[in-house]
Amino acid sequence: MSARKRLAFAILWLALLLLAGAWLGRTLQLSGDLRKFMPDPRTPAQRLLIDELGEGPGSRLLLVALSGEPPAVLAQQSQALRERLSASPAFELVANGGETGLEAVPERLRPYRYLLTSSFDAHPLDAARLQAQLAERVQDLGSPAAPLLEPLVPADPTLETLKLAEAWQPATAPQRLYGAWFDRAGRRALLLAQTHAPGFDPDGQQRAMDALQAAFEAVRGDTGTVMQATGPGAFSVEIGNRTREEAGWIGSVDTIALVLLLWFAYRSWKAPLLGVLPLASAGLAGLVAVALLFDGVHGITIAFGFTLIGVVQDYPIHLFSQQRAGMSPFDGARRIWPTLATGVASTCIAYLTFLASGVDGLQQLAVFTISALAMAAIATRWLLPALMDPVPARDAANSHALAALWHRISKLPRPRIALGMLALAAAAVVAFAPGPFWENDLAKLTPVPPDALRLDAQLREELGAPDVRYVIALEAGDAEAALRGAERLRPVLDALVASGAIAGYDSPARYLPSAAVQQARQARLPDPAALRGMLDAALADSPFRPSVFEPFLADVEAARQASPLRPADLAGTPLAPRVDGLLLQRDDGATALVALQGLAEPQAVATTARAAGAQLLDLKQASESLVADYRGRVLWALGAAAILLALAVLLALRSWRRTARVLAPMLLATLVILAVLRGCGVELNLFHLVALVLAAGLGLDYALFFEHAGDARDDQLRTLHAIIVCSITTLLVFALLALSSIPVLRAIGSTVAIGVAANFVLALLVARQPAVRA
Amino acid sequence: MLLATASALAPALAAPEDAVDPDWILSRLARPAPSQTPFVELRNSRLLKEPLRVSGTYRRPDAATLVREVASPYAETTTLHAGEAVIERDGKSRRFSLSRVPELAGLQASFGALLSGDGDRLRRHYAVSSEGSRGHWRLLLEPRDAALAARVQRIVLHGRGSELRCIESIPADDGAVQRTLLAGAARDAASVGTAEALAALCSGDARE
Repeated sequence: MSARKRLAFAILWLALLLLAGAWLGRTLQLSGDLRKFMPDPRTPAQRLLIDELGEGPGSRLLLVALSGEPPAVLAQQSQALRERLSASPAFELVANGGETGLEAVPERLRPYRYLLTSSFDAHPLDAARLQAQLAERVQDLGSPAAPLLEPLVPADPTLETLKLAEAWQPATAPQRLYGAWFDRAGRRALLLAQTHAPGFDPDGQQRAMDALQAAFEAVRGDTGTVMQATGPGAFSVEIGNRTREEAGWIGSVDTIALVLLLWFAYRSWKAPLLGVLPLASAGLAGLVAVALLFDGVHGITIAFGFTLIGVVQDYPIHLFSQQRAGMSPFDGARRIWPTLATGVASTCIAYLTFLASGVDGLQQLAVFTISALAMAAIATRWLLPALMDPVPARDAANSHALAALWHRISKLPRPRIALGMLALAAAAVVAFAPGPFWENDLAKLTPVPPDALRLDAQLREELGAPDVRYVIALEAGDAEAALRGAERLRPVLDALVASGAIAGYDSPARYLPSAAVQQARQARLPDPAALRGMLDAALADSPFRPSVFEPFLADVEAARQASPLRPADLAGTPLAPRVDGLLLQRDDGATALVALQGLAEPQAVATTARAAGAQLLDLKQASESLVADYRGRVLWALGAAAILLALAVLLALRSWRRTARVLAPMLLATLVILAVLRGCGVELNLFHLVALVLAAGLGLDYALFFEHAGDARDDQLRTLHAIIVCSITTLLVFALLALSSIPVLRAIGSTVAIGVAANFVLALLVARQPAVRA
Repeated sequence: MLLATASALAPALAAPEDAVDPDWILSRLARPAPSQTPFVELRNSRLLKEPLRVSGTYRRPDAATLVREVASPYAETTTLHAGEAVIERDGKSRRFSLSRVPELAGLQASFGALLSGDGDRLRRHYAVSSEGSRGHWRLLLEPRDAALAARVQRIVLHGRGSELRCIESIPADDGAVQRTLLAGAARDAASVGTAEALAALCSGDARE
């Protein structure tokens, strides 16, 4: 094959990969759903968190503030924004303080006001009360509210409609100006928007934020209004974008540096082109395998997976460094194959343990990594050599600098005691460094800028938005029982409000009484004859025309005959999203949720709730315990993987001594990484763990190659060259990542960067072949 | 702006003694806050056998607030401020936003503009014209806002010189005319019983 042809094939290969990648990118359904990446929930709080909520009723709320124009203008824009968002499928519920007109309640449900209202619980409707109410209505008709009330009075002389509308307003609503909520200073119009997508669905939250932004742009027109939005969804979108942005530029810088490095190492522009092929093929193979075997591919699988297969970038480098005049690239590949295959096979075998972890996300990760590593090995062994020039631009063995370095290295001692001391010291640091070992709070990995947090706290306080962390849950056999439970809870909660333990609460019973309560109210409503008698008596000396109240008589009778209102009957009404959000129905039961505002004393609330048969759920604690569970499984899987790996290496090397020489640097490096991180006060999280696995994989390869370097000086020189290029490229990529301001990227970057350095040095000291005289 | 300048110059130009135009009326009506005026209102409703008569005081404690205090036949205070109305009676209060009651929003806008003498602001909300003489004028306001126009066909203000005596609100449908008698007319109304007599007093046709 001619050089031109080889180049053409290489470019064709790359083009095919790019095409396939683009096609996969469009067809692949990436799910951002964190739940599938988590182990099965065990505690009720975990189950609620995973199965129902995401992260609590508050997690779907966006808090929106409009400012920069006079209140009258902001109020109008707030109204227009509410109308637009209410029409958007991304939002379930939008509130801005504007009263929902009666027109929002369907005609068929209006008589139900007599079953929903608590007005007549203590004192049933009687002639005296009706008379007093009618007298008040006369005064209403003489008041400026007359145009508003006059249409209601004939059917609803006691104005239950208004009482219900008031009762459904948030308990601690902010002040209202020009029909819209405002902060205390009257400068910011406030809105609450509940997204349809759960808080843990970043794509859904992104769609909601886009819809919000588009609606705002349309509403703002050419005014100077500024919109601010906070809340878990807004934060996750902002952080997601920042992470993408930063990862984007780091990736670009990395790519350029990598190309330059590979060019410099092999003095050939083809090296970067050929060097990228195994990695790209590996990623594609991993994606295809996961897409074929699983329903949806997790975003996290991709992120973790691509991190883990970073080791693949080293394969072509080993091949390139082995090249010399007089040996075909295929012979070079055959030379490195036993070493490479040992590394790949043992790593793949180790990842098999993830398949047994029982967690969908980890299984995907295993399939992804194993297929990717296998693909990369195959590509390096059988495909890449065909595209390489038979005579390299330079033979690494001819480099004087390298020879000098090799000479110096060969003089290095093979410390045993010193390394033993190092291991002990590192272990001591790991064990005794102050501060918690693990970071369970995933939120800390994706820190929200302090300004945004401050704004969020302000808006949350002004709006009386529910607590994001705590919620009271009440489990019951069905929706009716859950509603009854919520009703029993109300006096208890009112007492908590009175004592200041909470500022307010929102319960499904506020919107929909249980059927039992509705039936009791029904039984107390007067029959038609009795009601007409009451009305006649009340109207005796009244300024009202006598025939005005026929609709009232009809509505009370309709309410008396109606079958109780059930949650399903609310479909399509403004009440439906509120009740659905607080009353979670499953096939085998229902959960009533009580959202809390201004929670001051969680302990008192927990005790009180427990005494009343409910539970105060700490969703933060639940999510942290889930993370801890998850990490537990990962650790078990990794432990098993380590043992399998050792066995696989032993099988390949058939010598205890050699196996120990290969594995010792890797283990010691892991210990050193942990010691450095702990010593710097870093609390470890899942991302560190994944990075540790990558570092160990790199270390294994370094040690294997050093150990297999061969007896000839030139072979050893070429191996040294390969490992130096490998470690410098990897170090560069991950050191840049370690400089990131995003903790996730920093965690991965710093861990791998330290790992590469430690593994290189330790593999050199422990695993290198004895030098031979040239 | 040109009109306002013209009206300011009007006296110097020695306009005909008795001619009346909206800006002349507005310049006369302007009262700096705080100000107040007694009122008598007749509230018609299809639900009631006869119109309800209430009396009290309209107050403007500051330029942005309008307070309607009913003294008889019962006590009630309505405060219109920042697009919201709060009605207090017997220690209970009801709050609603003016956007839900276009009539009230119109009332506040016209009152505010009138008492501040802000003709431009008034014209933003209404087509303004006038009739009659300085001694007995009518200022006609036709709503520009669609929501208000659907409810109110026209608001007619009756006055004499610098005294606003009556506000008549003529509904868009066939409902009853609502009348608010102010200042001298309100005082005169104390001795008047029938609705017809009050209507006559409002339009200024009654004998004194």
